[in-house]
Amino acid sequence: MRGPARLFSPITDHVSLITVMSFAERMLKIDRRIIFLVIGLCTLLPLLYPVGLPIKISSEVRGVYDHIESLPEGATLVLSLDFDPASKPELYPQAIALLRHAFKKNLRVIALTLWVSGTGMAEQIVTQVAKELGKETGKDYTFLGWSPGGQAVIINMGQDLYSAFPSDYSGKPTKGLPVLEGVRNLKDITYLVSLGAGRPGVEEWYVFGKDKYKFEMGGGCTGVMAPGLYPLLRSGQINGLIGGLRGAAEYESLIDQKGKAVAGMDAQSATHVAIIVLVIICNLFYFSMRQQKSVGQG
Amino acid sequence: MDATVFGAWVATGLTLLIFSFLYKDTPLFKFAEHLYVGVSIGYTIVKTYDTVIMHLIVKPIVENGEFALLIPVAIGMLMLTRYVPKAAWMSRYAFAFIVGMGSGLAIPRTISSFILKQVEDTIRPLLSMAGPDGLTFSMNLLNPASNLNAIIILLGVSSVLFYFFFSIEHSGVGKAVARTGIMFLMIAFGAAFGYTVMARMSLLIGRLTDLIEFSDASYGRPTLWLVVVTIGVLVVLSRRAQREPPQES
Repeated sequence: MRGPARLFSPITDHVSLITVMSFAERMLKIDRRIIFLVIGLCTLLPLLYPVGLPIKISSEVRGVYDHIESLPEGATLVLSLDFDPASKPELYPQAIALLRHAFKKNLRVIALTLWVSGTGMAEQIVTQVAKELGKETGKDYTFLGWSPGGQAVIINMGQDLYSAFPSDYSGKPTKGLPVLEGVRNLKDITYLVSLGAGRPGVEEWYVFGKDKYKFEMGGGCTGVMAPGLYPLLRSGQINGLIGGLRGAAEYESLIDQKGKAVAGMDAQSATHVAIIVLVIICNLFYFSMRQQKSVGQG
Repeated sequence: MDATVFGAWVATGLTLLIFSFLYKDTPLFKFAEHLYVGVSIGYTIVKTYDTVIMHLIVKPIVENGEFALLIPVAIGMLMLTRYVPKAAWMSRYAFAFIVGMGSGLAIPRTISSFILKQVEDTIRPLLSMAGPDGLTFSMNLLNPASNLNAIIILLGVSSVLFYFFFSIEHSGVGKAVARTGIMFLMIAFGAAFGYTVMARMSLLIGRLTDLIEFSDASYGRPTLWLVVVTIGVLVVLSRRAQREPPQES
């Protein structure tokens, strides 16, 4: 047989099918370290050689941005940094971007954390951005530190902020701080954003804070948590949500100060494409093997 | 050595030790893992002691004479009686206080926030009033408040609830509804998994960003030096493992 006729020979077809199938079997049993290497390269190369893919701003991130943008100078923003170093890659850029925005708008920032393991990092973030924008502690902002109790702290702040935090992180008494002028409890604040990596976090601030003391609230969270917080967003219980590194990149774009999050977006897109391709290939190989088995049985 | 440079070397070294797990479970990974657990616990204990014992208890009592604080301290101390078998019953009062107070605070607020508010949001009008002219139906899938999304949510909630309703057999029409519920569940799991993948990749991006930053000469290029050292140690460990006879099970 010659030419096209040979190509359609049933015996050759069967042999080539078997060859392809054994290849599929080999690929499905591939050493997982090769996949790690592929993902590693897909992450590393765009970080070394950025492409600058466009970033589309989502309505949920814009919700937080627009609300802060609408606040008058001197309004009080409470920023609760409820995460620890384990979630730093996602929430650190969010915190930096939010603080830059708040300080540029000359808002009075009251920062705190409900996570004991994140205290040092939270203080470092607030101090770093304040220093960058020439803000003075006690006058333009304060870092209250950590207080034990999680949800109990929120309730306590709702009744009396000074009883929940008698002193700030540096040990200075909170009573009499110019930044807290006119603020007795959570009812007196203008806006609150909780950047949460778990519990206590956004949900606790809503349940024990906003729902009880009626202030406006937005949230930021890790990617893992975002799907669970969308119902709160849709129902208007929170007015915006910054989800994961992607959300941080959107916020950085909105304030026009691109940082670590925007730099990571190319790598994020590349790894997502790699994972999608791997999922498709694995499915193709899986179905090829199933076909092989049915041919073998036939 | 400057603290920042020293920090860069420590961070790079520990990142690479943890990454060595991608090759296989090695003593390097175990060392970094144990160090992480130890440092986290140590940090938490120190911060808790400083904030709770010193700033919230000792200072207010000694400096301001706030002796009422001794009541919560006493309740807290009752917890420690768990370690004395004969007095362990006393800890129940502390637990009863915590459970009672916690439930009292949490139950009404959770019902209000997660059940009533969410039910209210689920039961939305399927048609909207559009001025004096009449009713409209918005088809925009991207708008969470559109009528089409209200119908999708209603279908999703009803079918998923039906799927978890086991008192009647899922056959006939019931089977179709339950299957629809499964489809909605699968979409939800897919979305959650997608976000999880994104989050994990973000963590990897975070570490690699730091490794790239620490390959700079101003830090003494810890990334380059420590990559070489880590790979060298892995090679030595691998060769040693090959020479050792396999252990009998």
